[in-house]
Amino acid sequence: MTLDGKVPDGPLDSKWEHHKFDMNLVAPANRRKHKIIVVGTGLAGASAASTLGELGYNVAAFTILDSPRRAHSIAAQGGINAAKNYKNDGDSVYRLFYDTIKGGDYRAREANVYRLAEVSVDIIDQCTAQGVPFAREYGGNLSNRSFGGAQVSRTFYARGQTGQQLLLGAYGSLMRQVDRGQVQLYTRQEMLDLVLVDGVARGIITRNLVTGALERHAADTVLLCTGGYGNIYFLSTNAGNSNVTAAWRCARRGAYMANPCYVQIHPTCIPQSDEFQSKLTLMSESLRNDGRVWVPLTKGDKRAPQQIPESERDYFLERKYPSFGNLVPRDVASRNAKAVCDEGRGVGATGLAVYLDFSDAIARLGANVIAERYGNLFQMYERITGDDVYVEKAMRIYPAVHYVMGGLWVDYNLMSNVPGLHVLGEANFSDHGANRLGASALMQGLADGYFIAPYTVAHFLATSKIAPVDTAHPAFDEAETSVRQRIDRLLAIRGTRTVLEFHRDLGKIMWDKVGMSRNEKGLQQALGEVRALRKEFWRDVKVAGAADDFNKNLEHALRVADYLEFGELLILDALHRTESCGGHFREESQTDEGEARRDDGAYAYVAAWEYKGDDVEPVLHREPLTFDFVEVKQRSYK
Amino acid sequence: MSAIGAFLTSSIGRKVVMAVTGLLLFLFLVTHLTANLLILIDPAAFNAYSHALVSNPLIYIAEFGLLALFVAHFVTAFLVFNSGRVARPESYKDDRWAGGTSHKSISSSTMILSGGFFLLFVPLHVWGFKFGAYYDAGGGVRDLHRLVVEEFRNPTLVAFYVVGMTILGFHLWHGLGSAFESLGVTHRRGLRRTGQVIAVVMAGGFTLIPVVIYFMGDAL
Amino acid sequence: METMTLNLRIWRQPRAAADGHLVEYTAREVSPDMSFLELLDVLNDQLIKGGADPIAFDSDCREGICGSCGMVISGVAHGPQSATTACQLFMRQFKDGDTITVEPWRATAFPIIKDLAVDRSAFDRIQAAGGYVSVDAGGAVDANEMLIPKDDADRAMDAAACIGCGACVAACKNASAELFVGARITQFSLLPQGQPERDRRVLAMVEQMEKEGFGPCSNEGECEAVCPKEISVAHIQTLHREFSRASMRRIFAAR
Ligand SMILES: Cc1cc2nc3c(=O)[nH]c(=O)nc-3n(C[C@H](O)[C@H](O)[C@H](O)COP(=O)(O)OP(=O)(O)OC[C@H]3O[C@@H](n4cnc5c(N)ncnc54)[C@H](O)[C@@H]3O)c2cc1C
Ligand code: HEM
Ligand code: HEM
Ligand code: SF4
Ligand code: F3S
Ligand code: FES
Repeated sequence: MTLDGKVPDGPLDSKWEHHKFDMNLVAPANRRKHKIIVVGTGLAGASAASTLGELGYNVAAFTILDSPRRAHSIAAQGGINAAKNYKNDGDSVYRLFYDTIKGGDYRAREANVYRLAEVSVDIIDQCTAQGVPFAREYGGNLSNRSFGGAQVSRTFYARGQTGQQLLLGAYGSLMRQVDRGQVQLYTRQEMLDLVLVDGVARGIITRNLVTGALERHAADTVLLCTGGYGNIYFLSTNAGNSNVTAAWRCARRGAYMANPCYVQIHPTCIPQSDEFQSKLTLMSESLRNDGRVWVPLTKGDKRAPQQIPESERDYFLERKYPSFGNLVPRDVASRNAKAVCDEGRGVGATGLAVYLDFSDAIARLGANVIAERYGNLFQMYERITGDDVYVEKAMRIYPAVHYVMGGLWVDYNLMSNVPGLHVLGEANFSDHGANRLGASALMQGLADGYFIAPYTVAHFLATSKIAPVDTAHPAFDEAETSVRQRIDRLLAIRGTRTVLEFHRDLGKIMWDKVGMSRNEKGLQQALGEVRALRKEFWRDVKVAGAADDFNKNLEHALRVADYLEFGELLILDALHRTESCGGHFREESQTDEGEARRDDGAYAYVAAWEYKGDDVEPVLHREPLTFDFVEVKQRSYK
Repeated sequence: MSAIGAFLTSSIGRKVVMAVTGLLLFLFLVTHLTANLLILIDPAAFNAYSHALVSNPLIYIAEFGLLALFVAHFVTAFLVFNSGRVARPESYKDDRWAGGTSHKSISSSTMILSGGFFLLFVPLHVWGFKFGAYYDAGGGVRDLHRLVVEEFRNPTLVAFYVVGMTILGFHLWHGLGSAFESLGVTHRRGLRRTGQVIAVVMAGGFTLIPVVIYFMGDAL
Repeated sequence: METMTLNLRIWRQPRAAADGHLVEYTAREVSPDMSFLELLDVLNDQLIKGGADPIAFDSDCREGICGSCGMVISGVAHGPQSATTACQLFMRQFKDGDTITVEPWRATAFPIIKDLAVDRSAFDRIQAAGGYVSVDAGGAVDANEMLIPKDDADRAMDAAACIGCGACVAACKNASAELFVGARITQFSLLPQGQPERDRRVLAMVEQMEKEGFGPCSNEGECEAVCPKEISVAHIQTLHREFSRASMRRIFAAR
């Protein structure tokens, strides 16, 4: 079956304008009669919940964490894009749209991306009005920088804490609505299932993480804003509580999971030091503006970086990509780093790292200029590794899982194929195609929450018959029972291996065989191993504590259980897509120079998978991608 | 509650009251010290001065004001201290000072005790001097000088004063800087330092009087 | 690489109502590259294997920005290294044989949930009372129509860097939240966006701060010393100014 993205017709630049007019509205007096559940209070969730609250809807917002001020979004460092063209350097809505489509390797929906670029300008206005302290010029205007190899300066930032400041802005607006009684806040609550009544998303089952009690919540529609699943790789730059559970539970209830194999691996992270490590830390991409990436020419050269003379260094990015050099896109930089390490030329204790060298920059600009630009990052690096960049003049970096482009499938209105289930932010698959450009995720999360969902959700409410349901409905009984049974089963196993061990094992399989570069054989092996691991998990896992308690180990167990199921789908998707595109590199599909080769003839579509039951092959639904406004090219950074 | 009441009972309002009363009490002590130093320099002048004071009808108002300040200060002090205890009833099993930029000191952590001491000291002190033996310096002028000198022949009283004045120093060591911060004077290291220097000067100055009198009383 | 053996004394408390106590553990083969939370992860895995209840503590980002993690390590909030959260405290800060005591934040306003995890929702209620600019989505003017001097923006950013971890409260003998509140007040008092609600904001937030049971500020400055973002006590003085000014305005407006 082919899927319909419900993209309005008409010229690209007026689709959204007309659609906004064509959509139905909900009269102010009727809004409070509509209850809306928002799961997740990251950028997407907080912005959606506060905006819907402002409009007068009756909102319930849920988060795993103890406060909506904390969410994975808070870690975003680099910045947020917007087509303001304040720098007069030739940026425009169309250029941001074009860069995003191209950066996404022509695997995103044109209309969505154009809309994203359009509303990007409003986001900056909104956040500034909230008091977000964006960086400024001496003249008092907002400051911009070029980010992630972009040729224009369209990135707005607040020091190295852009995500934090944007989230605190949205959090403020959210708490204002909480104060006004428009939003009911539920912290330390984890959504463990979606409740469908007559095929429509009408509620959720949550676990109160303090008491362990299962709770039922009913509403007229559900907005899922639960972020990405990068932690399936165990080690990633994601926050510890990021998970696939909410999205996967929806998938099991019939929502299609789109392009799960599109995973972004960020080239500049601090390498892993030991097996106890619980997360990888990102070093902002901006470092690549002044740092030069290299490894020794000869294998196993264990000398200190500055002991190795120029003649014995291989600046492999500059060598292979003369025009973009160290600023090639994330996927390209990451793959090449892996390649040289696989050749045995990696550096550091583990041999899984490359140098990012600043000696030239320091020589050219002076140590204090570099300190001014990257001082805080060098400090962070030293705190974590114990090494002083000013002394070594180079840091060791290695790629790490960072972001997932894949997610629940949504149409132009951000509604999944399950009526009433809207999906926002990183949790949906929508705007980044097969690879996301730097500083575009914050933009998308806030666009969805502040400026898109408020219209499309209203349209859904206005145009669909919503019979009242209460939580006594049998559908709630069924959902709650199934959750309780899973929990009881997990606790009953009392095996020998811990959840953490299983998560590490899963991560290793995924990273080694479904990571930066993938091939048929490896993927098949991974599939078998993940299936075996899942069986072993349900036979031998040891989960501590009780169900009716503050039990972090149980929370983790439930999430790992879902990763084990979802992992299989991710691999199947990677197997089926034999082309290389964006973050998905199939060794079978590369050019003679070893660059990614897309197969637009066969794969210019969104792969949306329908769950059919454990150990049953999922069904693939295709949404064809047509490009009426941009010319499709092979990306080249030579 | 009235807007004023709301301010005065707020935790910040209380601190403002403490700061203001504290500083005014401090000002009294400055004048008190300067006056008392006359004892060592010019007995007649000292007697004349205190005569001028007591014979001025305004003194009653001044004394009442002083008493009010004192009461206001220690009453709010107890309230502030107590609200702190209520907010943090349990201390850490392993409790250490953070160091670094912190101002925490023995002085800052014993304010309630150093302050409390004056609840004992001031009444005794006033009893001893203001309502102490009456000597006539002639012309209806009270010879307070003689009284003070005689009192400070007694070593235990001198010891008591030396200790007392040290405690005063401790109270002001944190108190002076703290007062300005409570009033919202944006913190400068210099402010604290000055406060601490003044605290030492005050304590030293007051200590001087009993000690000097004790050792060279006959010379005076 | 050489590893360490450490003696840990960790606060265990099954639930808010129950009373807690310090329990001794020995951690062997501790790598200096481990973070403090990773040490607890390893310890917890041993406990789980041994059939014991693992130590409950909060964490999320593990890179010092979310403010979830928080515990008093060796008598100091977030541990001995200054300007550092527990998750960014690496074991190379300790030496072989050290004894490390680990306790939860202690404050009436932060009731203990379990072991090292406390309930900091009081902070959210303070923010809800006024820690924002009242602007609805869509109602904003172009961002550059409002010029803000770079220095003001930078100072606002210094204040806005607070991660809401609660270490300031934990370190304060009065469990005062004035550093946390002061930082937010300063941010908005510096920005034009914050002016219309300036008085209302500070009065409401301070009132809520007291309702939640946070104590007064005795100007000791422990809070600044433990703050992972080095938020300055100058913000507390600003809070006192802003609050006093707003109160005076209210007093004279009442006339
Ligand atoms: C280190 C780092 C740096 C980054 N830097 C940038 C950058 O510079 N620019 C940029 O554009 N993007 C950046 N990104 C990407 C960007 O931060 C994220 O993609 C984006 O913030 C995701 O926001 P979100 O609201 O969709 O999800 P999240 O912020 O992940 O929020 C998820 C929310 O859902 C809640 N939740 C999850 N599961 C459940 C459940 N089962 N029940 C209840 N609640 C649940 C969580 O508690 C949380 O509140 C960065 C990412 C990382 C990791
Ligand atoms: C001799 C007269 C006194 C003087 C000059 C004095 C001065 C001061 C000053 C200047 C402060 C700083 C106020 C602030 O922090 O804002 C202070 C604080 C304090 N005073 Fe006094 N004081 C005196 C007597 C007392 C008495 C009798 C008490 C009774 C207990 C007392 C208890 C305190 C306490 C507890 C504080 C600290 C308040 C806090 O925790 O912030 N003081 N004093
Ligand atoms: C060695 C130091 C001191 C000496 C020699 C001294 C001396 C005196 C004398 C002689 C009097 C009587 C004045 C009169 O009756 O006219 C007096 C009054 C008083 N002293 Fe002191 N004093 C000293 C320190 C202090 C200190 C430290 C305090 C406060 C903390 C203090 C508080 C007072 C008060 C409140 C009175 C009553 C004032 C009045 O009612 O007019 N004195 N002192
Ligand atoms: S002020 Fe500092 S210590 Fe207090 S909550 Fe904010 S970041 Fe934490
Ligand atoms: S430690 Fe406490 S006393 Fe004030 S200065 Fe900080 S809040
Ligand atoms: S876990 Fe986020 S700050 Fe420590």
